[in-house]
Amino acid sequence: MSKKVAVSMEENPPKVNKWDGNALKNALDDAVKDVLLTQFSYVESHKLLDGRLIISSVAVGFSIFALVWDWLYPFPQSRTVMCVCVVSYFVMMGVLTWYTTCLERGIFCTALNKDAAGIDPDDVWNASSSLKRFDNKYHLRLTQRMGKSGKGKEAHTTLTVENFFDETGRLLYGAVAKEVLRLHSDVENKKN
Amino acid sequence: MLQLDFLDDLRRMNMRQLFYQLLNFAMIVSSALMIWKGLMVVTGSESPIVVVLSMEPAFQRGDLLFLTNYEQEPIRAGEIVVFKVEGRDIPIVHRVMKVHEKEDGSVKFLTKGDNNNVDDRGLYANGQAWLNRKDVVGRARGYVPFIGIVTIIMNDYPKFKYAVLAGLGLFVLVHRE
Repeated sequence: MSKKVAVSMEENPPKVNKWDGNALKNALDDAVKDVLLTQFSYVESHKLLDGRLIISSVAVGFSIFALVWDWLYPFPQSRTVMCVCVVSYFVMMGVLTWYTTCLERGIFCTALNKDAAGIDPDDVWNASSSLKRFDNKYHLRLTQRMGKSGKGKEAHTTLTVENFFDETGRLLYGAVAKEVLRLHSDVENKKN
Repeated sequence: MLQLDFLDDLRRMNMRQLFYQLLNFAMIVSSALMIWKGLMVVTGSESPIVVVLSMEPAFQRGDLLFLTNYEQEPIRAGEIVVFKVEGRDIPIVHRVMKVHEKEDGSVKFLTKGDNNNVDDRGLYANGQAWLNRKDVVGRARGYVPFIGIVTIIMNDYPKFKYAVLAGLGLFVLVHRE
Protein backbone atom coordinates (compact mmCIF):
# COMPACT_ATOMS: atom_id res chain seq x y z
CA MET A 1 0.00 0.00 0.00
CA SER A 2 2.59 2.53 1.09
CA LYS A 3 4.55 2.10 -2.13
CA LYS A 4 1.53 3.15 -4.18
CA VAL A 5 1.10 6.33 -2.18
CA ALA A 6 4.64 7.35 -3.04
CA VAL A 7 3.58 8.14 -6.61
CA SER A 8 1.62 11.35 -6.27
CA MET A 9 -1.79 11.77 -7.78
CA GLU A 10 -0.52 14.73 -9.76
CA GLU A 11 2.07 12.58 -11.56
CA ASN A 12 -0.24 9.65 -12.02
CA PRO A 13 -3.85 10.81 -12.14
CA PRO A 14 -6.45 8.03 -12.00
CA LYS A 15 -8.11 6.70 -15.11
CA VAL A 16 -11.78 5.85 -14.83
CA ASN A 17 -14.62 4.43 -16.83
CA LYS A 18 -16.30 7.65 -17.94
CA TRP A 19 -19.74 6.05 -18.07
CA ASP A 20 -19.65 5.14 -14.40
CA GLY A 21 -20.92 8.17 -12.47
CA ASN A 22 -19.70 6.79 -9.18
CA ALA A 23 -16.17 6.35 -10.46
CA LEU A 24 -16.17 9.91 -11.82
CA LYS A 25 -17.28 11.32 -8.49
CA ASN A 26 -14.77 9.24 -6.54
CA ALA A 27 -11.92 10.33 -8.81
CA LEU A 28 -12.90 14.01 -8.53
CA ASP A 29 -13.33 13.74 -4.74
CA ASP A 30 -9.91 12.12 -4.42
CA ALA A 31 -8.34 14.81 -6.56
CA VAL A 32 -9.96 17.65 -4.58
CA LYS A 33 -8.78 16.05 -1.37
CA ASP A 34 -5.29 15.62 -2.76
CA VAL A 35 -5.13 19.29 -3.77
CA LEU A 36 -6.31 20.46 -0.36
CA LEU A 37 -3.78 18.32 1.46
CA THR A 38 -0.77 18.90 -0.79
CA GLN A 39 -1.15 22.54 -1.83
CA PHE A 40 -1.75 23.79 1.69
CA SER A 41 -0.16 22.70 4.91
CA TYR A 42 -3.38 21.17 6.17
CA VAL A 43 -3.68 18.00 8.19
CA GLU A 44 -6.45 15.57 7.36
CA SER A 45 -8.92 14.80 10.14
CA HIS A 46 -10.54 11.36 10.04
CA LYS A 47 -13.12 12.03 12.74
CA LEU A 48 -16.15 11.97 10.46
CA LEU A 49 -15.27 8.67 8.80
CA ASP A 50 -14.23 7.18 12.15
CA GLY A 51 -17.72 7.92 13.47
CA ARG A 52 -19.27 6.05 10.57
CA LEU A 53 -16.84 3.15 11.09
CA ILE A 54 -17.79 2.89 14.76
CA ILE A 55 -21.54 2.94 14.06
CA SER A 56 -21.23 0.26 11.36
CA SER A 57 -18.93 -1.88 13.51
CA VAL A 58 -21.39 -1.83 16.40
CA ALA A 59 -24.23 -2.80 14.03
CA VAL A 60 -22.24 -5.69 12.55
CA GLY A 61 -21.22 -6.64 16.11
CA PHE A 62 -24.88 -7.10 17.04
CA SER A 63 -25.47 -9.40 14.09
CA ILE A 64 -22.35 -11.48 14.76
CA PHE A 65 -23.36 -11.78 18.40
CA ALA A 66 -26.85 -12.90 17.36
CA LEU A 67 -25.37 -15.48 15.02
CA VAL A 68 -23.08 -16.95 17.66
CA TRP A 69 -25.70 -16.86 20.43
CA ASP A 70 -28.33 -18.55 18.26
CA TRP A 71 -25.82 -21.24 17.41
CA LEU A 72 -24.97 -21.84 21.08
CA TYR A 73 -28.57 -21.70 22.34
CA PRO A 74 -30.88 -22.78 19.50
CA PHE A 75 -33.95 -20.76 18.76
CA PRO A 76 -36.72 -20.98 21.33
CA GLN A 77 -34.14 -20.39 24.10
CA SER A 78 -32.39 -17.53 22.33
CA ARG A 79 -35.63 -15.64 21.68
CA THR A 80 -35.03 -12.68 24.02
CA VAL A 81 -31.45 -12.19 22.89
CA MET A 82 -32.51 -12.38 19.24
CA CYS A 83 -35.18 -9.80 19.88
CA VAL A 84 -32.70 -7.39 21.48
CA CYS A 85 -30.09 -7.93 18.73
CA VAL A 86 -32.56 -7.45 15.87
CA VAL A 87 -34.00 -4.24 17.34
CA SER A 88 -30.52 -2.88 18.17
CA TYR A 89 -29.26 -3.69 14.68
CA PHE A 90 -32.04 -1.81 12.95
CA VAL A 91 -31.70 1.09 15.40
CA MET A 92 -28.00 1.25 14.46
CA MET A 93 -28.95 1.24 10.76
CA GLY A 94 -31.24 4.19 11.49
CA VAL A 95 -28.42 5.97 13.33
CA LEU A 96 -26.11 5.32 10.37
CA THR A 97 -28.63 6.81 7.94
CA TRP A 98 -29.05 9.83 10.19
CA TYR A 99 -25.26 10.19 10.49
CA THR A 100 -24.63 10.13 6.74
CA THR A 101 -27.54 12.38 5.79
CA CYS A 102 -27.44 14.89 8.66
CA LEU A 103 -23.80 15.00 9.77
CA GLU A 104 -21.67 13.88 6.84
CA ARG A 105 -23.85 15.40 4.12
CA GLY A 106 -21.42 14.43 1.38
CA ILE A 107 -18.32 15.67 3.20
CA PHE A 108 -15.46 13.55 1.90
CA CYS A 109 -12.55 15.49 3.35
CA THR A 110 -11.94 17.42 6.54
CA ALA A 111 -8.67 19.32 6.65
CA LEU A 112 -7.35 21.14 9.68
CA ASN A 113 -5.31 24.28 9.46
CA LYS A 114 -3.28 23.87 12.61
CA ASP A 115 -2.81 27.00 14.63
CA ALA A 116 0.91 27.77 14.43
CA ALA A 117 1.16 28.66 18.07
CA GLY A 118 -0.90 25.69 19.09
CA ILE A 119 -3.07 27.80 21.38
CA ASP A 120 -6.19 28.62 19.40
CA PRO A 121 -8.39 25.86 18.02
CA ASP A 122 -7.70 24.80 14.43
CA ASP A 123 -9.49 26.21 11.41
CA VAL A 124 -11.57 23.46 9.88
CA TRP A 125 -11.97 23.05 6.12
CA ASN A 126 -14.69 20.75 4.86
CA ALA A 127 -15.12 19.65 1.26
CA SER A 128 -18.40 18.11 0.22
CA SER A 129 -19.68 17.12 -3.18
CA SER A 130 -22.59 15.62 -5.00
CA LEU A 131 -23.10 14.25 -8.49
CA LYS A 132 -26.62 13.24 -9.45
CA ARG A 133 -27.19 10.05 -11.39
CA PHE A 134 -26.99 10.52 -15.16
CA ASP A 135 -25.99 14.15 -14.60
CA ASN A 136 -22.73 15.79 -15.63
CA LYS A 137 -22.77 18.55 -13.03
CA TYR A 138 -20.41 17.98 -10.13
CA HIS A 139 -21.33 20.24 -7.21
CA LEU A 140 -18.43 21.08 -4.95
CA ARG A 141 -18.76 23.00 -1.71
CA LEU A 142 -15.88 24.22 0.41
CA THR A 143 -16.50 25.50 3.91
CA GLN A 144 -14.14 27.04 6.40
CA ARG A 145 -14.90 27.32 10.08
CA MET A 146 -12.55 29.65 11.89
CA GLY A 147 -11.14 28.07 15.00
CA LYS A 148 -10.90 31.29 16.91
CA SER A 149 -14.24 32.94 16.23
CA GLY A 150 -16.19 29.79 15.35
CA LYS A 151 -17.60 31.66 12.36
CA GLY A 152 -18.07 29.89 9.05
CA LYS A 153 -17.60 30.87 5.43
CA GLU A 154 -18.31 28.86 2.35
CA ALA A 155 -18.22 28.85 -1.40
CA HIS A 156 -19.82 26.62 -3.95
CA THR A 157 -19.09 25.77 -7.53
CA THR A 158 -20.59 23.56 -10.19
CA LEU A 159 -18.19 21.76 -12.47
CA THR A 160 -19.05 20.03 -15.71
CA VAL A 161 -17.38 16.66 -15.40
CA GLU A 162 -16.32 16.24 -19.04
CA ASN A 163 -13.95 19.21 -18.68
CA PHE A 164 -11.95 17.31 -16.09
CA PHE A 165 -11.32 14.03 -17.89
CA ASP A 166 -9.62 13.45 -21.20
CA GLU A 167 -11.13 11.18 -23.86
CA THR A 168 -9.53 8.07 -22.38
CA GLY A 169 -11.03 8.81 -18.97
CA ARG A 170 -7.85 10.04 -17.34
CA LEU A 171 -8.40 12.75 -14.75
CA LEU A 172 -6.98 16.17 -15.63
CA TYR A 173 -5.39 16.92 -12.30
CA GLY A 174 -4.27 20.43 -13.24
CA ALA A 175 -7.78 21.52 -14.18
CA VAL A 176 -9.20 20.23 -10.89
CA ALA A 177 -6.39 21.88 -8.92
CA LYS A 178 -7.09 25.20 -10.60
CA GLU A 179 -10.77 25.06 -9.64
CA VAL A 180 -10.03 24.02 -6.07
CA LEU A 181 -7.46 26.78 -5.59
CA ARG A 182 -9.91 29.32 -7.00
CA LEU A 183 -12.69 28.09 -4.72
CA HIS A 184 -10.31 28.11 -1.79
CA SER A 185 -9.34 31.75 -2.34
CA ASP A 186 -13.03 32.61 -2.86
CA VAL A 187 -13.72 31.33 0.61
CA GLU A 188 -10.69 33.03 2.17
CA ASN A 189 -11.49 36.38 0.59
CA LYS A 190 -15.08 36.35 1.73
CA LYS A 191 -15.95 38.78 4.47
CA ASN A 192 -17.57 37.30 7.50
CA MET B 1 -9.17 -2.82 -18.86
CA LEU B 2 -12.38 -2.36 -16.95
CA GLN B 3 -11.09 -4.69 -14.26
CA LEU B 4 -7.96 -2.60 -13.84
CA ASP B 5 -10.03 0.55 -13.46
CA PHE B 6 -11.91 -1.11 -10.64
CA LEU B 7 -8.71 -2.03 -8.87
CA ASP B 8 -7.35 1.46 -9.38
CA ASP B 9 -10.37 2.75 -7.47
CA LEU B 10 -9.47 0.45 -4.58
CA ARG B 11 -5.80 1.36 -4.71
CA ARG B 12 -6.59 5.01 -4.06
CA MET B 13 -8.43 4.18 -0.85
CA ASN B 14 -6.81 4.45 2.56
CA MET B 15 -7.08 1.87 5.34
CA ARG B 16 -10.19 3.46 6.80
CA GLN B 17 -11.99 3.44 3.48
CA LEU B 18 -10.97 -0.16 2.83
CA PHE B 19 -12.21 -1.14 6.27
CA TYR B 20 -15.52 0.57 5.57
CA GLN B 21 -15.72 -1.32 2.29
CA LEU B 22 -15.50 -4.56 4.30
CA LEU B 23 -18.04 -3.31 6.82
CA ASN B 24 -20.39 -2.38 4.00
CA PHE B 25 -20.26 -5.95 2.76
CA ALA B 26 -20.79 -7.24 6.29
CA MET B 27 -23.81 -4.97 6.70
CA ILE B 28 -25.48 -6.34 3.57
CA VAL B 29 -25.07 -9.89 4.88
CA SER B 30 -26.12 -8.76 8.38
CA SER B 31 -29.30 -7.10 7.16
CA ALA B 32 -30.43 -10.33 5.53
CA LEU B 33 -29.53 -12.29 8.66
CA MET B 34 -31.29 -9.88 11.01
CA ILE B 35 -34.46 -9.84 8.91
CA TRP B 36 -34.46 -13.63 9.12
CA LYS B 37 -33.87 -13.61 12.90
CA GLY B 38 -36.53 -10.93 13.26
CA LEU B 39 -39.02 -13.12 11.42
CA MET B 40 -38.07 -16.00 13.72
CA VAL B 41 -38.92 -13.91 16.77
CA VAL B 42 -42.19 -12.63 15.30
CA THR B 43 -43.47 -16.00 14.07
CA GLY B 44 -42.03 -18.16 16.82
CA SER B 45 -40.81 -20.60 14.21
CA GLU B 46 -37.15 -21.53 13.88
CA SER B 47 -37.59 -21.47 10.09
CA PRO B 48 -40.42 -19.07 9.22
CA ILE B 49 -40.14 -19.51 5.46
CA VAL B 50 -39.69 -22.89 3.77
CA VAL B 51 -39.61 -24.07 0.18
CA VAL B 52 -41.96 -26.89 -0.73
CA LEU B 53 -40.31 -29.83 -2.46
CA SER B 54 -43.55 -31.82 -2.86
CA MET B 55 -46.98 -31.52 -1.29
CA GLU B 56 -49.30 -31.90 -4.24
CA PRO B 57 -52.09 -31.13 -4.81
CA ALA B 58 -52.16 -28.50 -2.04
CA PHE B 59 -48.80 -26.94 -2.91
CA GLN B 60 -46.56 -27.22 -5.94
CA ARG B 61 -42.83 -27.82 -5.97
CA GLY B 62 -41.15 -24.46 -5.50
CA ASP B 63 -43.92 -22.75 -3.54
CA LEU B 64 -42.75 -20.60 -0.68
CA LEU B 65 -44.55 -21.34 2.58
CA PHE B 66 -44.89 -18.85 5.39
CA LEU B 67 -45.01 -20.48 8.82
CA THR B 68 -45.92 -19.48 12.35
CA ASN B 69 -45.43 -21.52 15.47
CA TYR B 70 -47.25 -19.91 18.38
CA GLU B 71 -47.35 -22.11 21.46
CA GLN B 72 -50.84 -20.98 22.48
CA GLU B 73 -52.47 -22.00 19.18
CA PRO B 74 -53.62 -25.61 19.37
CA ILE B 75 -52.85 -28.05 16.58
CA ARG B 76 -56.01 -29.18 14.78
CA ALA B 77 -56.79 -31.92 12.27
CA GLY B 78 -56.75 -30.61 8.69
CA GLU B 79 -53.96 -28.12 9.29
CA ILE B 80 -50.78 -28.29 7.27
CA VAL B 81 -47.73 -28.60 9.50
CA VAL B 82 -44.02 -28.64 8.81
CA PHE B 83 -42.24 -31.08 11.09
CA LYS B 84 -38.82 -32.56 11.67
CA VAL B 85 -38.17 -36.26 12.06
CA GLU B 86 -35.09 -37.60 13.78
CA GLY B 87 -32.57 -38.86 11.26
CA ARG B 88 -33.94 -36.74 8.39
CA ASP B 89 -32.25 -33.50 7.36
CA ILE B 90 -35.18 -32.00 5.45
CA PRO B 91 -38.41 -31.12 7.31
CA ILE B 92 -41.64 -32.54 5.89
CA VAL B 93 -44.80 -30.59 4.94
CA HIS B 94 -47.90 -32.76 5.52
CA ARG B 95 -51.48 -32.51 6.74
CA VAL B 96 -52.59 -33.39 10.28
CA MET B 97 -55.00 -36.37 10.34
CA LYS B 98 -55.56 -37.25 13.98
CA VAL B 99 -54.96 -35.29 17.16
CA HIS B 100 -54.95 -36.48 20.78
CA GLU B 101 -54.80 -33.86 23.50
CA LYS B 102 -54.35 -34.43 27.21
CA GLU B 103 -55.59 -32.21 30.04
CA ASP B 104 -52.01 -31.22 30.87
CA GLY B 105 -51.71 -29.67 27.42
CA SER B 106 -49.50 -32.32 25.86
CA VAL B 107 -50.50 -33.33 22.37
CA LYS B 108 -49.70 -36.10 19.94
CA PHE B 109 -50.77 -36.23 16.34
CA LEU B 110 -50.51 -38.19 13.12
CA THR B 111 -49.88 -36.74 9.66
CA LYS B 112 -50.34 -37.84 6.05
CA GLY B 113 -49.36 -36.43 2.68
CA ASP B 114 -52.39 -35.48 0.59
CA ASN B 115 -51.10 -37.50 -2.34
CA ASN B 116 -49.98 -40.51 -0.33
CA ASN B 117 -52.13 -43.57 0.18
CA VAL B 118 -50.89 -44.24 3.69
CA ASP B 119 -50.20 -42.15 6.77
CA ASP B 120 -46.72 -41.00 7.70
CA ARG B 121 -45.83 -43.65 10.28
CA GLY B 122 -43.44 -45.16 7.77
CA LEU B 123 -41.63 -41.83 7.52
CA TYR B 124 -41.25 -41.26 11.27
CA ALA B 125 -38.24 -42.42 13.23
CA ASN B 126 -38.03 -46.09 14.02
CA GLY B 127 -40.69 -47.03 16.56
CA GLN B 128 -42.26 -43.55 16.55
CA ALA B 129 -46.04 -43.68 16.14
CA TRP B 130 -46.97 -40.06 16.87
CA LEU B 131 -45.53 -36.57 16.51
CA ASN B 132 -45.24 -34.21 19.49
CA ARG B 133 -45.35 -30.45 19.86
CA LYS B 134 -41.54 -30.23 19.85
CA ASP B 135 -41.33 -31.84 16.39
CA VAL B 136 -43.26 -28.98 14.82
CA VAL B 137 -41.27 -26.33 12.90
CA GLY B 138 -44.40 -24.37 12.07
CA ARG B 139 -47.83 -24.32 10.56
CA ALA B 140 -48.57 -23.01 7.08
CA ARG B 141 -50.16 -19.57 7.18
CA GLY B 142 -49.70 -18.41 3.61
CA TYR B 143 -47.77 -19.16 0.45
CA VAL B 144 -46.25 -17.54 -2.61
CA PRO B 145 -46.17 -19.76 -5.68
CA PHE B 146 -43.07 -20.65 -7.74
CA ILE B 147 -40.53 -18.22 -6.24
CA GLY B 148 -38.83 -20.98 -4.27
CA ILE B 149 -37.86 -22.74 -7.48
CA VAL B 150 -34.81 -20.44 -7.54
CA THR B 151 -33.68 -21.93 -4.23
CA ILE B 152 -34.31 -25.45 -5.49
CA ILE B 153 -32.22 -24.85 -8.63
CA MET B 154 -29.48 -23.26 -6.53
CA ASN B 155 -29.39 -26.27 -4.25
CA ASP B 156 -29.45 -28.72 -7.16
CA TYR B 157 -26.41 -27.04 -8.68
CA PRO B 158 -24.26 -26.02 -5.70
CA LYS B 159 -21.38 -24.89 -7.92
CA PHE B 160 -23.71 -22.45 -9.68
CA LYS B 161 -24.90 -21.19 -6.29
CA TYR B 162 -21.37 -20.59 -5.00
CA ALA B 163 -20.36 -18.93 -8.27
CA VAL B 164 -23.30 -16.50 -8.05
CA LEU B 165 -22.66 -15.76 -4.37
CA ALA B 166 -18.92 -15.29 -4.91
CA GLY B 167 -19.58 -13.02 -7.88
CA LEU B 168 -22.01 -10.83 -5.95
CA GLY B 169 -19.73 -10.72 -2.93
CA LEU B 170 -16.71 -9.74 -4.99
CA PHE B 171 -18.70 -7.03 -6.75
CA VAL B 172 -19.75 -5.46 -3.45
CA LEU B 173 -16.22 -5.69 -2.04
CA VAL B 174 -14.50 -4.22 -5.08
CA HIS B 175 -17.11 -1.66 -6.08
CA ARG B 176 -16.64 1.63 -4.30
CA GLU B 177 -19.94 3.14 -3.23
